[in-house]
Amino acid sequence: MQEYSSQAAYDRGEAVCVIGAGAAGLIAVKNLRENGFEVDCYERDTVLGGLWNPQNQHSPLYPNTHLVTSRSQTEIPDFPMPDDWPDYPSSAQMLTYLTAYAKHFGLSEHIWYGSEISHVEPVEGSRFEVVVKPAAGNAARRLRYAAVIIATGHHWSPNLPSYPGLDQFRGTVLHSSQLKDPSRLRGKHVLVIGGGNSGTDIACEAAVNAASCTHSVRRGSWHLPKYLGGEPGDFALARVGGRPKFLRRFLTDRLLKGPASLAARMGIVPEGKPFAEEPVRNGRYMEHVGDGSIRRRGEVARFDGFDVAFADGTEIRPDLVVLATGYRPKFTSVDPKLLGIQDESPYPNLYARMFSPKMETLAVAGLVEPGVGVLPIVHWQTHAIAHWLLVRKSDPERAANFRVQVRTEAEQDTAPAGTSPRHRLAVDAATYLASLGRIIDTLEQEPAK
Amino acid sequence: MSLAAWVRRARTPAPAPVAREYAYLEPADLFDMEIKDDPEASPVLCCTGDPAGAAAFQALWLKRIAGTGRYAASVSVRGQGGTPAADGGLEARAHDLVQAAVTVPRQTVLIGHKEGAAWAALAAGRYPAAALVLVSPQKVPKEPPTPVGGPPVLLVVAEAETQTKEVQAVADAYGIAPLTFAGSPDDVFKGAGAEGLLDAILSWLARKE
Repeated sequence: MQEYSSQAAYDRGEAVCVIGAGAAGLIAVKNLRENGFEVDCYERDTVLGGLWNPQNQHSPLYPNTHLVTSRSQTEIPDFPMPDDWPDYPSSAQMLTYLTAYAKHFGLSEHIWYGSEISHVEPVEGSRFEVVVKPAAGNAARRLRYAAVIIATGHHWSPNLPSYPGLDQFRGTVLHSSQLKDPSRLRGKHVLVIGGGNSGTDIACEAAVNAASCTHSVRRGSWHLPKYLGGEPGDFALARVGGRPKFLRRFLTDRLLKGPASLAARMGIVPEGKPFAEEPVRNGRYMEHVGDGSIRRRGEVARFDGFDVAFADGTEIRPDLVVLATGYRPKFTSVDPKLLGIQDESPYPNLYARMFSPKMETLAVAGLVEPGVGVLPIVHWQTHAIAHWLLVRKSDPERAANFRVQVRTEAEQDTAPAGTSPRHRLAVDAATYLASLGRIIDTLEQEPAK
Repeated sequence: MSLAAWVRRARTPAPAPVAREYAYLEPADLFDMEIKDDPEASPVLCCTGDPAGAAAFQALWLKRIAGTGRYAASVSVRGQGGTPAADGGLEARAHDLVQAAVTVPRQTVLIGHKEGAAWAALAAGRYPAAALVLVSPQKVPKEPPTPVGGPPVLLVVAEAETQTKEVQAVADAYGIAPLTFAGSPDDVFKGAGAEGLLDAILSWLARKE
């Protein structure tokens, strides 16, 4: 730390530091500003919009990315998307939307672009010292903040699997985030590895563009079309959630009957209950499997020169292998212990999926996979965080009670055994929203003075 | 807006989209050297229960508001002015108003006149308005939603209406005292009374900021 210690840290008083200017960061800035906080938001890249901005060098967008959750379930609650947009907007529309959000609420003036946070360290009890490293030049700055909100997301550090012989493979191997241009698929024999939403979407792109498409899937997951019963699927299912309890099971089964039998016909045996983890939402995939333009295979056993061998003994010779194997959460600036990260697991253990178990003024926004749109969840999370910071300042006694409540909420929320590591961040949307609702109610009981 | 209200709304089918008529005037459109665009001042979005919709504000309001350096806009909700009629009651009209509000370049002030005040009150429960102005409100729900983001609220009524139950109920719901203007509640778009009313609203807005 010698290079930084020549000058004293600049104290920003009660201001809050938000790390990341993606969707979650923007929502956090807006909600904190609305509650009267001064905010500095630091963005490593030179653009806002995070994963939705193709100019972001860590953007995970693949050709033709669209939302997998419908507009009404994905829009930020207090800033709806234009109602003449399609049910499932494209990534370009998402970027337009987030840019409009930032402009509408005047957020850009609080964002420092090209500023990577190299270090966050607790000082003086509950405050933080933040070391900001600008992209150009080497003059790192040290600033002190009353609180830090991490909104760096979990879709930027690719999860790369290892297979025997992968590094000696003679064809091209790309992670889904490196694909970018659909023309790279054209005329190639493509192998897509990974059965999540991105793998399924890329397989569909390859089915129409590539010479042939093989899709390697390790385990069966739930496949839903984007529309169920004439409505966007997630909306139809959310409506079922509003029905009396005794009807829910019946109505859900009725909605899922068609897609489930189609999946069974295509030889896809889903593991687990329907919504234990995020389902794959793609209406075209089954059609492509049905007309043979996507051939489904099991797990890859090894790579061998030009060939790829599967666990069932068959071999193919692809030109291009796309690893749609998802991402790992990665926190570069904060001591992992503060986020409850144990051992080698990259997954943090947070209270209510947002509050640090160690520091009262450290929170993470948007680190959930609720199986519904994440933006509204982040909105309510940051709403709760902003109110928590207000309450903590004004009423320490209530703050202590609240801390106990959050801990009990966190204890109830245990991950079901045997979930894939990929689904460690999955939460049941209804349960999590109910828990968020209780948290917000407690914080809002008496308006913080 | 509470989380419960949002969950309820997300489970309700959205109103059918309509192509809304939208009128706006920027300070630069007035071609007046004296008038400077004020980037700090919030834009203003108006709506009225009058069937003319957005056009009702063309004669006086938009020019006058733009004259203070603000972006001035008005919108016709479904069934008014140039906007086609479509299904949906109060909620659908509030939806139209929110949809218009998010297309305004910055966080906007909502001004609602007559039934428009009811739509504005509902819209302010879903969209963090910079301020909420209710002019001679009519048909406002008994318990209007708490405005999100805690904007300042102004209630302006005609002298003749100050004692009516409707106005009292709205004043109680927001915990504010009404400001009065001379003239009839229907006569706010033209004439001396209208100018006085508008100046009162604009000076209140200027003071709030």
